[in-house]
Amino acid sequence: MKNLEERSKQYLNPYFGGVLLGLLLLLTVYITGRGLGATGAIKSSIVTAVDRVAPTYAENQAYYSKFLSDDHHPMSNWLVFETIGIFVGAFLSGLIAGRVKKFRIEHSPKITPKTRLIFATLGGMLFGIGSQFGRGCTSGAALSGTATMATAGFLAMMLIFGSGYLFAYFFRKLWI
Amino acid sequence: MGPLISQGYINQEWNFVIALLLGVAFGYILEASGFSSSRKLAGVFYGYDFVVLRVFMTAAMVAMIGLVYFDHMNWIDISKIFILPTFLTSVIVGGVIMGLGFIMGGYCPGTSFTGVAIGKLDAVFFTAGLYLGIFIFSTAFPLIEGIYYGGELGPVTVMETFGISRELFAFLFIMATLMAFFVVSLVQKRVKKIEV
Amino acid sequence: MNKTYYFLIALTFALGFGALFLPEKSHTKEITPEQLFYKMNNPSRFVTTDQVARLIIESDPALLLVDARSPDQYRLFSLPGAMNIPMKELVDSNGIICSKWVDYLDIEGLNVIFFSNSDVIADQVWVICTRHELDNLYVMRGGLNTWAETILKPQKPFESSPIEEFALYDFRRGACQYFGGGSISIKSDVVADPVPRIRRKKKTVVAGGC
Repeated sequence: MKNLEERSKQYLNPYFGGVLLGLLLLLTVYITGRGLGATGAIKSSIVTAVDRVAPTYAENQAYYSKFLSDDHHPMSNWLVFETIGIFVGAFLSGLIAGRVKKFRIEHSPKITPKTRLIFATLGGMLFGIGSQFGRGCTSGAALSGTATMATAGFLAMMLIFGSGYLFAYFFRKLWI
Repeated sequence: MGPLISQGYINQEWNFVIALLLGVAFGYILEASGFSSSRKLAGVFYGYDFVVLRVFMTAAMVAMIGLVYFDHMNWIDISKIFILPTFLTSVIVGGVIMGLGFIMGGYCPGTSFTGVAIGKLDAVFFTAGLYLGIFIFSTAFPLIEGIYYGGELGPVTVMETFGISRELFAFLFIMATLMAFFVVSLVQKRVKKIEV
Repeated sequence: MNKTYYFLIALTFALGFGALFLPEKSHTKEITPEQLFYKMNNPSRFVTTDQVARLIIESDPALLLVDARSPDQYRLFSLPGAMNIPMKELVDSNGIICSKWVDYLDIEGLNVIFFSNSDVIADQVWVICTRHELDNLYVMRGGLNTWAETILKPQKPFESSPIEEFALYDFRRGACQYFGGGSISIKSDVVADPVPRIRRKKKTVVAGGC
């Protein structure tokens, strides 16, 4: 029995993880006809919140109104349930591997935790905006889109990683 | 046969239960592969850890070739699969912004959820940022509607775009992926290892 | 590099390379035999001549009557507004419904009623079309023979018959006058209107994404 610290550093073989993820994606497409996603749930909750606070605004605004309909609640959405599942699944995996600990910040030794949090928020914000333009995030557009051979998905994958490499030099202090 | 739900083989009521179960599996695999660590994820851009590229490309490859065979076995009606519609301007703008967000935040949405689940505070802030970003986008939508609907091509597939068959594209994708795996394994050897 | 990886590389390569040599798959759209059998056992596809008469009189815009008999018979007599799709010309040599007919039949919201002299040929046409994933298709029960008996020469019900029968008889008498007063020799010169039809959109593509 290895100690906990060592065990928590052990991850799946990336190729094995990839095959599992690929089979899961295939199963998802086989069952539901579309791929996996992540940002959809956040969008649903924002639409719900805005609709709760300012219903007339939400109904008349071009973007919010797209996701509001009379026959079902915006939160009663496939992706919302899937996202709840992501939390549960990740927690389970973390628990088994001993990675679930109290809140901590992971950052490069060259930056302060505060800098890390500022950049995490900024990055999240940009990713949020980008995911709406791309009609999906890394999982919804890039991964599922590439697997179903949608041109948009393939482009999204190339562009996300391409621009990541393009900007990597400027943000190297954050990571290495 | 498939897709099972839209073909009516599975009742709509089970839809959300299935969503939950698939989500659990998704979260589990992401976390177990190490996607809950932002420094591990960012490694793909600096060459010290290629786990993102390996998992991502393998998954895309497996699902893609799986769909090719499922289609040939008539197990799935490929015409009933959701194909992400292409809006050229929008996807280019979105892709570049997402890449920038990735390198700054170190997560992507799905992986940040797994980070939150095991107690990473930076993942919590990233997720908060996602809320903020989508809120900003939605509220500013009237101003950026032109970009969002720009360059519409409809739900086209790469087969239509490049004029090649599904099988050939899958084959080329596999070749490119195997090549990429080989190259990154060489790169990783030369880059200074960083313990994360 | 470990030996397993060589094996995995070979396996993925074989799968990808093998995909290139998969036999050409025929992409005819057909429903499964089980589904077809289920639909064939479902009698809801039959409509009565009275229902058809009412739809014609009300000039229902969503109605398309299709005469499945031969062109000669069609020229001699048919229902007003009916178009002619002879059963022999329905499918091409590959067993697929000719696209010129699909353009007429595959329209969102359109109800197609097939008829022939009896309902046998019409029902066969119904099966062929249903198998090729067309929907909203119906068959006029009893065909033109029943049409003649019920609409063109309605029988007066017995005195002791229930009131519904008399109501039906009155309707048929009215319909009889509408369709030309009992004479079977009328020739319809109204053929399916050449209004440009919009092809139905691809159905049940799941919406969604991230």
